[in-house]
Amino acid sequence: MTDKLTASVRADCAAAADPGALQALAGRHILITGGTGFVGTWLTEMVAHLNDEHSLGMRLSLLGPHAADFHSRAPHLAGRKDIDLIERDVRDLDSLPTGVTHVIHAAGTPDNRMHASDPLRTMSVISAGTSAVLRASVDSPDLQKFLFVSSGLVYGPQPLDLPGISEKYVGGPECDSIASVYPEAKRYAEVECAAWRGQTKLPLVTARPFAFIGPYQGLDKPWAVNNFLRDALLGGPIRIMGCADTVRSYMYPSDMAFWLLRILADGVPGVAYNVGSPEAVTLKDLADRIAGAFDEPPAVACRGGANPRPSRFVPDVDRCRDTLGLRVTVPLGDAIVRTLEWHRAAGTARA
Amino acid sequence: MKELLVTDITLRDGNHAVAHQLTEHQLSVYAEAAEAAGMPIVEVGHGNGIGASSMQVGESLLSDADMLRVVRGKLKKSRMSIHVIPGFATINKDLRPAIEAGVDVIRVASHCTEADITERHITFAREQGKEVYGVLMMSHMASKEVLLEEARKMEQYGAEGVVLMDSAGAYLPKDVRDKISLLAEELNIPVGFHAHNNMGMAVANSLTAAESGAYIVDGASRGFGAGAGNAQLEALIAVLERYGYSTGIDLYGALDAGDVAQRELVEVVPSATSTSIVSGMAGVFSAFSKPVERISKEYGVDPRDVFFELGRRGIVAGQEDIILEVAQQLSEEAAKK
Repeated sequence: MTDKLTASVRADCAAAADPGALQALAGRHILITGGTGFVGTWLTEMVAHLNDEHSLGMRLSLLGPHAADFHSRAPHLAGRKDIDLIERDVRDLDSLPTGVTHVIHAAGTPDNRMHASDPLRTMSVISAGTSAVLRASVDSPDLQKFLFVSSGLVYGPQPLDLPGISEKYVGGPECDSIASVYPEAKRYAEVECAAWRGQTKLPLVTARPFAFIGPYQGLDKPWAVNNFLRDALLGGPIRIMGCADTVRSYMYPSDMAFWLLRILADGVPGVAYNVGSPEAVTLKDLADRIAGAFDEPPAVACRGGANPRPSRFVPDVDRCRDTLGLRVTVPLGDAIVRTLEWHRAAGTARA
Repeated sequence: MKELLVTDITLRDGNHAVAHQLTEHQLSVYAEAAEAAGMPIVEVGHGNGIGASSMQVGESLLSDADMLRVVRGKLKKSRMSIHVIPGFATINKDLRPAIEAGVDVIRVASHCTEADITERHITFAREQGKEVYGVLMMSHMASKEVLLEEARKMEQYGAEGVVLMDSAGAYLPKDVRDKISLLAEELNIPVGFHAHNNMGMAVANSLTAAESGAYIVDGASRGFGAGAGNAQLEALIAVLERYGYSTGIDLYGALDAGDVAQRELVEVVPSATSTSIVSGMAGVFSAFSKPVERISKEYGVDPRDVFFELGRRGIVAGQEDIILEVAQQLSEEAAKK
């Protein structure tokens, strides 16, 4: 990490944060499971900004199976005095660190290559991991709030004529498909959270993230936007696999981090909140917009199968907007430009 | 007019037919002919792909680096492809140098029920911005439902298409139709088919694949490939043209490439011999023909019996040592009688 990259992330956090809306977290100690992943890293950046610039005095404990790697990936964060690293599999957690008042349970990779290759581990990390964290949380005398980071995928396939999927929508993934291990495990974990909340009155709130585009998201990740960015940075062509009419939306991660902290601070226990951008875009439009961000735009090639089937994955975020006052501060066009600048500066695309 | 993507596998699968002994001159003249014909993709390498040259499956005359250098020097519009089997090919030792040598297309293959092993190689190739396909070998050994599950894994890993290989030439058109149509219906990426001609069905099966929704078909000039050979490329192009498919390949150029192959590469034009027919019926990897015939002769047993026993045991590529065991067993049983 160069100073330039660190500064750009800090600037993003400053633009997205409203410190006054997070006063409930001032002076609190937050445990983040999956704390060194994409979500955890951005939460840490946001907390570091809030502590440094607004003196919120939060403390973080980041738990992950390879937490020690965080020293090399994000030394500016790993070396901070207000951050502890705990290298442990979430399934092995038997008690919360002393003094933890809040938990953000974000463990479980959304990388669908891992889901395909090791579905049993994927399900175990989410189900057994959630059980372990919930047990430890209930036993903790200091705990004030628990945020479970679920997934927008729990809704199952979104009807194509439904512009945005709301938290009230009832659907589900195909339960006999190996492709469903991640969303189905998240669904199970949500139900387990509800059971613990009902039985123990654990103050538990749920976030359902959708899709993101931004720094710290590896270009090797198997999602369309990452592939488009990498193809473009390597000179193109940008290759659209699958159906070019598929619709997605992408939130910039500084917004994601602020939204999650806001939900942790003031989300109502027992309520789920969608986290994502409502700005819908087809894959073809997305590829064109990424290409258009270059002085010499790379070509865009569509390589779909014989039976193209568009899908849609766009949240309705009215609940976050109306009850927590949240809004998207980085529109897609800006998110694309900032993400490309980050990867150029970081040299993450291997030409 | 429906478009198809044709991969010319003459310089890779054909290497099986000559015990991986293709020379620099042979690679050079054929690559030139393939380029002139407008072959979209030209695959080159040891028969079992890069990194495979070994005592167990045969040592190639030329190194991977030399083969890639020679062919790269002849291809301008045609894209150069390699066949990659994780286990034979490693990322740092084989794949990275191949990319540095100018490979455009990488086809990562596994046994039809083991797509999991392709994840790292497919991911790496995609990270390098290369065109990447998944290949499921010996696909006659799995049901269409299992093939779909394995193909979906490759799709998740980032493959831009999945090719079913009929490595044993065991398919009949109804098998092709069943499997290709399901994959074409269910996958979000194109599907392909790679035929062998053990029972004389290679061109017909390739056509059936196209008619069932495949976008990618493989062929070798004069059928120059393992065992009874592959779909004869120039015949396949002619048939596809008659059926109204567009391949972008010049027919006369393809016919000329076939002539070059016969003149420069092919010692014996592949045909459906009695052993290759039996290997197709038994569902045994086409490239086993030469070692089976050699070892059977050595032990004085009928190679057809060897093939049927190998098929009964479900032997796959990489288990060449079992041929010896089977021949020995059949020989001992014959002696007891």
